[in-house]
Amino acid sequence: MSTSSSHAADHIEEYRPVFAGKVLEELQTLLQRYPTKQAALLPALWLTQRERGWISDRSMAEVAEVLGITPAYVKGVVTFYTMYHQHPVGKNFVQVCTTSPCNICGAEDVVKAFLEQTGAGDPGAISPDGKWTIVEVECLGACGFATPVLVNDDFIENVTADRVAELVKKYR
Amino acid sequence: MADELVNLTVDGVPISVPKGTLVIEAAKQAGVLVPHYCYHPGLPVAGVCRMCLVEVEKAPKLQIACATTVAEGMVVNTQTTQAKDARQSVLELLLINHPLDCPICDQAGECELQDFVFQEGRSGTRYAEYAKRFNPVEDFGPDVLYVPNRCILCTRCVRFMEDVAQEPVLNVSERGDRAFIGIHPAARLDHPWAGNVVDLCPVGSLLSKDFLHKARAWELDKTASICTGCSQGCNITLDTRDDVVVRVRPRPNLEVNRYFICDHGRMHYRWMNRGDRIEAPLIRKDGALQATDWDEAFARVSSILRGASGKAVALVSPGASTEALALAKRLLSGGGFDWTGAFQVVMGEEAPLAGVPNLALRAERAPNAKGAEQLGYTRDYAAAVAAAQSAAVVLVLDDPDCAVQTSGALIYLGTVLGPDAPCRTAEVILPIANVAEEEGTFVNRDGREQRYFQAKPTPGMAQPAAWVLGELVAALGVAEAV
Amino acid sequence: MGYPHKPHPKETVVLSQHFGDADARTYKGWVKRGGYDALAQALKTEPAAVTEVVKESGLRGRGGAGFPTGLKWSFMPKEKKKPHYLCVNADESEPGTFKDREIMRWTPHALLEGTAIAAHAIRAEVAYIYIRGEFTEPWTIMEKALAEADAAGVFGKIKVYLHRGAGAYICGEETAMMNSIEGKRGNPRIKPPFPAAAGLFGMPTTINNVETLAAVPQILKRGAAWYKGLSLSNPKSTGTKLFSVCGHVQRPGNYEVTMGFPLKDLLYDMCGGVPAGRTLKACIPGGSSVPILNREETEACLLDYEGVVATGSMLGSGGVIVFDDSTDMVYQIMRLARFYAHESCAQCTQCREGTAWTTKILERILAGQGKTKDLDLLLDLSENMTGKTICVLSDSCAAPVVSGIKKFKSEFEDYIAGKRQPVLVA
Repeated sequence: MSTSSSHAADHIEEYRPVFAGKVLEELQTLLQRYPTKQAALLPALWLTQRERGWISDRSMAEVAEVLGITPAYVKGVVTFYTMYHQHPVGKNFVQVCTTSPCNICGAEDVVKAFLEQTGAGDPGAISPDGKWTIVEVECLGACGFATPVLVNDDFIENVTADRVAELVKKYR
Repeated sequence: MADELVNLTVDGVPISVPKGTLVIEAAKQAGVLVPHYCYHPGLPVAGVCRMCLVEVEKAPKLQIACATTVAEGMVVNTQTTQAKDARQSVLELLLINHPLDCPICDQAGECELQDFVFQEGRSGTRYAEYAKRFNPVEDFGPDVLYVPNRCILCTRCVRFMEDVAQEPVLNVSERGDRAFIGIHPAARLDHPWAGNVVDLCPVGSLLSKDFLHKARAWELDKTASICTGCSQGCNITLDTRDDVVVRVRPRPNLEVNRYFICDHGRMHYRWMNRGDRIEAPLIRKDGALQATDWDEAFARVSSILRGASGKAVALVSPGASTEALALAKRLLSGGGFDWTGAFQVVMGEEAPLAGVPNLALRAERAPNAKGAEQLGYTRDYAAAVAAAQSAAVVLVLDDPDCAVQTSGALIYLGTVLGPDAPCRTAEVILPIANVAEEEGTFVNRDGREQRYFQAKPTPGMAQPAAWVLGELVAALGVAEAV
Repeated sequence: MGYPHKPHPKETVVLSQHFGDADARTYKGWVKRGGYDALAQALKTEPAAVTEVVKESGLRGRGGAGFPTGLKWSFMPKEKKKPHYLCVNADESEPGTFKDREIMRWTPHALLEGTAIAAHAIRAEVAYIYIRGEFTEPWTIMEKALAEADAAGVFGKIKVYLHRGAGAYICGEETAMMNSIEGKRGNPRIKPPFPAAAGLFGMPTTINNVETLAAVPQILKRGAAWYKGLSLSNPKSTGTKLFSVCGHVQRPGNYEVTMGFPLKDLLYDMCGGVPAGRTLKACIPGGSSVPILNREETEACLLDYEGVVATGSMLGSGGVIVFDDSTDMVYQIMRLARFYAHESCAQCTQCREGTAWTTKILERILAGQGKTKDLDLLLDLSENMTGKTICVLSDSCAAPVVSGIKKFKSEFEDYIAGKRQPVLVA
C-alpha cells in the first residue's frame, strides 16, 4: 500500500481534480464491483486521501459529482469515519492505541513519549517541523502485541515507551 | 375494497385497524398518543429517538411503536412502569445537553420536548457534569437557522431533504455525542420546499429567520386557510397575533399537500397585512371620488347597471373567491348584459416536491384560476380588455394594476388602489376583504373545492367581495344566473 | 500459541496450524497443505447439502453472537429470485480481540476458501470481505492471496472483493457493515427486515465472521462429526476457538483450544499467568462488551458459550483481557466507557448521550469529585441503556460498568471517600 501523498493546498491554486487519468481508471475498476455508484464512496475517499493526504470540502464535492450524490452526503460519511482526515496532518501520522488492554500495558506512556520526542506537543497537532501528528486511537486489533502503533500504513507491534526513540529516528 | 383488519388492544382499548398499520398509528385510534420525536407520518421510519418505547405482551423487550406492525391479538401497554421509566430516561438523556433556552426559544409553547417532559419527564436532572456541549448557531440558507445545542438528532430534517425533497443537502456529521446536523459549504439549504424542516423540527433547533423572535406561540390565533401562492391549493394555517398575520404553516391534507407547503407560499403573506387599503366606498361626484356609505354606493351602482345595456366585461383576479366570481357573473349576465369575463394569471417556475405525487409549486401563481374557468371566465384577457373599451359596463374585481379604458362605466372592487392606478378613473370604487379577512372557497388545479376561513377583521368599511356583489344582485332583483 | 508461533501441548491446533509459516500464505503453499480441496468438492455439491454439513457440525458464529452458522445460512430464501450476497466480517475491533488478524496474516487462503464455500452454500454471486482500515498488513496479504486465487480460478463464478473500512468499531455490527459497504454512515439498521430477507443493497444477505468461515473448509474436509466431537463440556458448543489473550499475562497471544477448555488452564498453564509477583484480579473473557469476572469466577470458568454464561459473563469474541492486582479497575472501566462513547454512531438517545454521560461520571469520580449517589446513578443509567436500542453497543457499555461496580465496589468507594489520590484533573 503506497504511503506517498502530496499535501496539496488546493484552496490556494485552482483545484486539480483527483479523479483524472490513472486515478480515474482505478475508480472505474472499483465501480465494477458494486451495483450502485454510491457503494464506491469509501474506496473513492481512500483514493482521495492517498492522492492528497487529506480530504478537503472541495474534494468532497468532487467525489460527490463523480458518484452522483450530494456533497453534504459525502461530508456526512467523511465525518463518520475517523481514519479520513478533514485537514492536513504531519508527514508521519502516528496512531497509538490506548484502549484498556493496551492501556494496562503502558500505552499512555507511549503516547507521551511520542508527543515529547516529536515536538508535536498535543494529540492531533502538527509538530513545528511538519513531520508528525500523534493521535490516540481506539483498539487496533493487536492487543496481544501491546502497544501497537500505526505510522502511516506501517503497523508496528510491541511498542513500549523506551522503543519510541528508535521509531522517531527511523521515520524522521 | 376493504383492507384486511387486525384486532388488538392498546391500553385496554380494543381497536381494529388495517393490516400493516404501525402500532403508533393504531394507538391514535384508541385515543392514545405515544410520545415520539423521530417518527413522522410523512417521513420514512427511522426508529432512532427511542422515545416511543411501549410494552408489548409476550415480547421480551420493550418495542418502539413506530417500527412495530400490528398483529392479531396484540396487547400493547404504554403506561406500565417499565415503559414509562424507559421513556423518562430518554427524556432525561435528551435534556443533559439541551440548553435551558425556553425563555428565549421560539419553539416554547409548541415544543414537543417541553410537552413530553411535562407529561412524563423527571422533575429534576441528575446531570452534574461540566459544560454542556456548545456549538455556534449556523445559517443554513435563505430562511433556516440551525441551533446545534438544541438539536435532539431526531433526523427528521435529514430524512425530509433526502426522501421527500430528494435533495440530500443536510447530513448527520460526526459520531456519538459530538454529532450535529451538517451542511456542505457548496450547497445551501435553498430548496423551494426547505422551510418544512422548521415545522418538522420538534424543538427549537431549526428556526425560521422570518419568524425569529416575532411572537410567542401562545399569543397566536390559528385559522384554517388555503394558500394563495399558486393553483396547488395547499392547506395552510394562518397564525395571527393581534390581528396581524405573522406566520403561515401547512395544515395536513393527505389528498393535496400531505404535511408540507413550499417556501413561496410560506413567505407569501405580508401582503395580507398591508395598511394602504381602500377603507370606504368611493363614488364619483362632480368629477372627483368621494367617500360615502354602502347604501349610497349600492344606489349608485344599481342606477349605473339599470341605465346600461349591451356589452358588459368583467376583468377579475384569479385569486378572488369562487363565490365572488359567481356573483359577479350573475350580476352582469343575469342583468341582461352581453357578458364576457376574463382573468390573467402570473406565471412562474414550477417546483415539485419530488417525493410526493402530484405536489408542486405550480406555474400558475393564483389559487382560483380553475374556479374562474369553471364559471365561464376565459384566459383571453387581452381580448376582454379590448372589448371593454366599447362596453357599457366594466367591472374590475381585485386587479389593482388593471389598465383598462372604457367609454362605459367602470366599477372597481378591490383591496388597494395606488394613487396612479389606471382604475382611479372608475365611477365607483368598493373596498373588499382579502383572503385572510373573509370566508370563501377556491377550486384548485385538480378541481378540488376547498374552504378558507376568516383570520382577522376587515379594515375600515371593507366587506367580502361576495357580500358586496350579493347585495347588488339582491338590489337589482337578479334572481338566477343566465 | 505465544510468539514465536509454537503450539502449546494443550492446544488443539486446527485454524492455527500454519500460523508462523510464511509459505502457507501463498496459493501454491496452501494447495500443498491440502487447501482448496474442500472448495472444489463443495462447488460440486448442492448448496443445501453443504449447509446441512455445517449445521450438523454445530459451528457457531465466532464474532461474538455465537449464532449457529448453518442455521443462519438456511435463513436465505429457498427460491432464488434475487442476487444473494455474503459479507465477511473482518472488522475486528472488539477490545481484547486479535484473532481474525492472525488468520488473515497467516492463512489468508483459509479465509478465502471458507468465503467461497459459504458463498456457494447461500448461492451468493458476490462476497465482500470488509477489512477494517487499520489492518494494513492483513489487507496487503489478503490482496495478494486473492489475486493468486482468482488467477487460479478456484472461485468459479463467485466474485470475491475486498472492501476497506475507515475507522468505526460499529461497522462490525452486521447491519452497520451493510450500510458501510453501500457507501453510507455505518449506522445499524432496525430489524425487521432481517439481512436474509433484505440486506445488502436490499438483497438477501448473510454476514459471517472471519474465524467462523476459516473453520468451514476443515469441517467439510474432516466431517461434521469430527468437529462436533471437539467439545469438552457442552455439546451445544463444538469445535475449537482461538482465544486472544492479552493484558497482564506473561505470554500473550492467540491460543486455540477445544470448546469447554478451562479458563484457568489457559491463563496459568499456557500463558504463564500474570507477571511475577502479581496476582490475578479480574478477567474479561469475551472482549470488552461482556461482564467482568473476578478472580474466583475466572478460575472456575469453562470456555464455551453456555459455560461462560453460567459463570455470569459471555464467550463473545473470545478476547481474554487479564487484569492483575496493579490495575486501577475504576480507571480501566472509565477507559472502556470512553471507548464506547467514541464509537457510538449517534442514532439512539440512550447510547449517544448515555455512553458520554457514563464516561463523564467515571472521570469525575477519578478526579476525586465523585459522590456515593453516583454509583446508583451509574447503575440506573446502565439499566436504561440495556435492551432499549437498535444495536447492543449501548448494552456493551453498561456491561463493564455494572459488573465493575458490583465486583470492585470498594475501588469506586475509595475514590469517592477520598481514600485514593485522584488520577485525573477535573
